[in-house]
Amino acid sequence: MKKTVTLSIAILLIATVLFSFSLVSADGETTLVVGFDQDFPPYGYIGEDGEFTGFDLELAAAVAEKLGLEIVYQPIAWDAKDMELDSGTIDLIWNGFTINGREDKYEWTEPYKDAGQIILVKADADVEALTDLAGKVVAVQTDSAALQALESEDFAELTASFANLLVVDQYNTAFMDLEASAVDAIAMDVDVAYRKNNTASDSNSATPNCVTQFKPRWKKLSRTAPSLKFLKNGSATTFVPSASARRMLNKKNASL
Amino acid sequence: MSFTVMLSKLSEGMITSVLIFTLTLLISLPLGLVVALARISKNKPLSAFTRIYISIMRGTPLMLQLLVVYFGPYYLFRIPLASGYRFWAVILAFSINYAAYFAEIYRGGIESMPIGQYEAARVLGYSESQIFLKIILPQVFKRIIPSITNEVITLIKDTSLAFSIAVTEMFTVAKAIASSERTMVSYIAAGIFYYVFNFIVAFVMERIEKKLNYYH
Repeated sequence: MKKTVTLSIAILLIATVLFSFSLVSADGETTLVVGFDQDFPPYGYIGEDGEFTGFDLELAAAVAEKLGLEIVYQPIAWDAKDMELDSGTIDLIWNGFTINGREDKYEWTEPYKDAGQIILVKADADVEALTDLAGKVVAVQTDSAALQALESEDFAELTASFANLLVVDQYNTAFMDLEASAVDAIAMDVDVAYRKNNTASDSNSATPNCVTQFKPRWKKLSRTAPSLKFLKNGSATTFVPSASARRMLNKKNASL
Repeated sequence: MSFTVMLSKLSEGMITSVLIFTLTLLISLPLGLVVALARISKNKPLSAFTRIYISIMRGTPLMLQLLVVYFGPYYLFRIPLASGYRFWAVILAFSINYAAYFAEIYRGGIESMPIGQYEAARVLGYSESQIFLKIILPQVFKRIIPSITNEVITLIKDTSLAFSIAVTEMFTVAKAIASSERTMVSYIAAGIFYYVFNFIVAFVMERIEKKLNYYH
């Protein structure tokens, strides 16, 4: 009995040590630790084979390869992304992250993807235009570009007309709410909406369908290729990038 | 995503959850006893300190404690963090949190012992430490097992909070699969995983309880 206990504790300790070694630190020397929200298809999510994939993650992998760094996918709690970046536990955030309205908060790449926000309603909903949303319950993801737009002055009137603006923790919750008719509409990123719609179970007649476009009057982004001169955290405002991050950035900028 | 891929992803998450669970118990159960003894000690500053410690641990959300333990070194002392610290921060935060709860359970057990037992033992010539270790503590364990079982089962479900500092345990995996596949299956599978694990825990605790039931 005693032997078994000792043995199992030993095994546990070994497993733990191995486990903690498998976590790579964001030293910026040999690795590129990419922080992303894994609940955010098509930008970053768990693919068919169980590995992380997505539009932005593939792009990040290509950049890491070009820089000769080993890419490490680090799924993070989106709410904690600033803390992760400041404390240097991730090298950068790369995950369908909207630039507009956050220009000063981070140091950005050149924009390379023109997204947009839409309102998604059920196929049989009597919503054709934004004005039809008066008195409806609209769901939006916390800390999202859509939420930021709806809270801005540009859309103050629209937002005030809603019965309720419901802030949810992730879009999947909003989708379940929409299918269950607990909310009438979702304000969200256009690409995420289209992907969700395509993977939704086809048989379900209540499958949410398009879509009223709402175009925040943000300046239009140019569709440039990513310049790959990459992110570090908030230069002018509050934070100083860690020394290792700075070394990495210098190295990167030199190699590109 | 095939069902097997989903299960293997969930099992990976389950390993993390079980590691958090086991290490937390290994640390917090003994630590809780130490805290309980400090709490009932006659040393006033020590007792006051543990009282404040327990009050803070029980009075603030575990998620906040996780964030403080993990990011605290950087924001308070500007110590750059290594990513490997994530996991240990989870263990540390869970351990000090659960130790506070366990401490109060131990204290309840210790204080429930009738004073007559102490008196009788003293008459029989036991020293104070012998009284505690040989007479009081064995009975305390018997009494507090049901309450300990409660906390232990809560612990495995609390492991899902670990993702607030980006340690990917099982529930986080289930959530990520649910959003990439638009399916509820992963939630159901996760529910079954938790249930089976807790069933085993409850079974083991019941066996221990029976084994300790030697006076009846």
